[in-house]
Amino acid sequence: MTHQGREKIELLTLSILRIIGIVFFIIISAFPLYWMILSSFKALEELLMNPGALGIDFRGVTLEAYRQVLFDHGFIQYISNSAYVSTLTVVLSLTLAMIGAYASTRLRFRGRAFMSYSILVIYMFPAIVLVIPLYVVFSRMGLRDSLHILILVYLAQTLPVALYMLRSYFRSLPVEIEYAGLTDGCTRLGVIWRIIIPLSAPALATVALYTFMIAWNEFLFAFMFLDSPEKFTLSRGVVQLAGSVHLSKQLVMAASVLVTFPIVILFLVFERHLVRGLAAGAMKG
Amino acid sequence: MASLLVENISKRFGNFDALSDVSIRVEEGSFCVLLGPSGCGKSTLLNIIAGLIPQDGGRVIVDGESVDPLSPRERDVAMVFQSYALYPHMTVAQNLGFGLKMRKVPKHVIQEKIQEAANLLGIEELLNRKPRELSGGQRQRVAMGRALVRRPRLFLFDEPLSNLDARLRANVRMELKRIHQRIKGTVIYVTHDQIEAMTLGDSVVVMKAGRIHQSGPPRVIYERPADKFVATFIGFPEMNFLKGTVLDRQGTFLFEGNGFTMDLGLLQMNDPSGDWELGLRPEDIQIHPQRTTPLEIDVEIVSNIGSETVVNGRLGPETINIIAPKDTTLKPGDRASISVAPERIHRFRNGVRA
Repeated sequence: MTHQGREKIELLTLSILRIIGIVFFIIISAFPLYWMILSSFKALEELLMNPGALGIDFRGVTLEAYRQVLFDHGFIQYISNSAYVSTLTVVLSLTLAMIGAYASTRLRFRGRAFMSYSILVIYMFPAIVLVIPLYVVFSRMGLRDSLHILILVYLAQTLPVALYMLRSYFRSLPVEIEYAGLTDGCTRLGVIWRIIIPLSAPALATVALYTFMIAWNEFLFAFMFLDSPEKFTLSRGVVQLAGSVHLSKQLVMAASVLVTFPIVILFLVFERHLVRGLAAGAMKG
Repeated sequence: MASLLVENISKRFGNFDALSDVSIRVEEGSFCVLLGPSGCGKSTLLNIIAGLIPQDGGRVIVDGESVDPLSPRERDVAMVFQSYALYPHMTVAQNLGFGLKMRKVPKHVIQEKIQEAANLLGIEELLNRKPRELSGGQRQRVAMGRALVRRPRLFLFDEPLSNLDARLRANVRMELKRIHQRIKGTVIYVTHDQIEAMTLGDSVVVMKAGRIHQSGPPRVIYERPADKFVATFIGFPEMNFLKGTVLDRQGTFLFEGNGFTMDLGLLQMNDPSGDWELGLRPEDIQIHPQRTTPLEIDVEIVSNIGSETVVNGRLGPETINIIAPKDTTLKPGDRASISVAPERIHRFRNGVRA
């Protein structure tokens, strides 16, 4: 066999394997999503009679499931609870992480190295280990059934990684830019606000998205800490719905779509900012 | 515009003495160059003057008043960085105007100043671009413009030309001199390039390993280097050094080197004892292909560099560089003789000028 012939066969094999791989992963990740969306638009009888139908029948499309979920099962409340919790977590986490990351990269203080290590150690505690002690503590303090306690827990969960990500980004920013800002007449805070934040937009967007996803999808703590239905977050609400006596699949599917889509939309909006590196052109190049 | 006095500044980083007891004085409106090899502490000194890093000891005094308690913002200095440090998210115009904006200068004045600085540097057509759309030379101009839009008390330049190619560097150097002659301003300029130091500086401070070796007008530094380090660092090709001892012959002195002797003429020497080193600048040495003087060398390498010829020869065991006329007929393997006017001979003992 000639050298060229062998190369061709190798290339061909690789591209076939690649296609098989892609198709496989699309099927296992996209199929449940597809079935979920499809089912959420169907009437109950149709779903019960023919749950395996994968074609789209536009005559059978109904928004009845969404209407019921949103208005009869209180999901409007859950959505606003989740939005509140997630947004506040993002804002607080970003603010604290930014200040903390800046301090740990740029300022010299006692215990700086220790702080850097301990940040990650905290992150390595599995949630399940913490949830029961926290349950007890918050119950005794009478703080349990509250969205703000949830936000506090989410902050503790997201801050370490947020700090870690921002820190490595801040390290990549040249210190001379800050020096330039300081001699140009900024205060330290002015430098952060006018120079560091605009330059860190991609990193901040990434961290915001990550934090939002964690807070939006989180279930374990929401399940343990929230008792009154008017305080439920979305994921908690979906489980409540799925566990209720009259098992109507299309309602659960509609609720799941409501959980999933904000994240997808957010990702599409932010995606553009994630890839762009703003720091290009600052230095001599 | 202001005068600057740096008094006994010292700075340590861990166990490393970045600056030890450094003092300089810069008169109002003059151009002071801090010259030294990399790592000699010159940039650290500049950052201390700007207030960006605190010193461990000593004072920085501007116009007779200590600025040590003041932040960089309050010190009213403008700085140009080696890496330029432009704000990547701002246009050139915004970069130029940022310092004025931070100082609450009215908008129309900022516009005027930006135009003025852009004209001065010839970057009018770049004002709406972002730094990443500029070439290295253009970025360098913007970095200088950012300092020139303001009339700060001190201009601080940290190797502003070191990232430009040789030709561009020479042009910008001349331009910088022209600009300084026009706008005056007190300038502290850090460089490791002796040509920049010699051409730009009203005074030059030569530093090494956190200490000042000599400071003074560039001519004095060149003509009367205080020690071997300064003598070697300034001038290209480097000064030649010849080791030996000095013999007193009733009023005239004879230098006895390794395999040669040289008449030092009527130079006054109070105490000729001990080991000496003679420093000879390559351009101070006359070369005589006809061997009309007693001091003879073996020619090893002849390099014509256009305006002149550099002859590399051997005087006994020592190598010696000589700048000869460009039309010299010498070639490797020739023998030639050399002579130096006694007043052009630099004498060093224990590395220090004597």
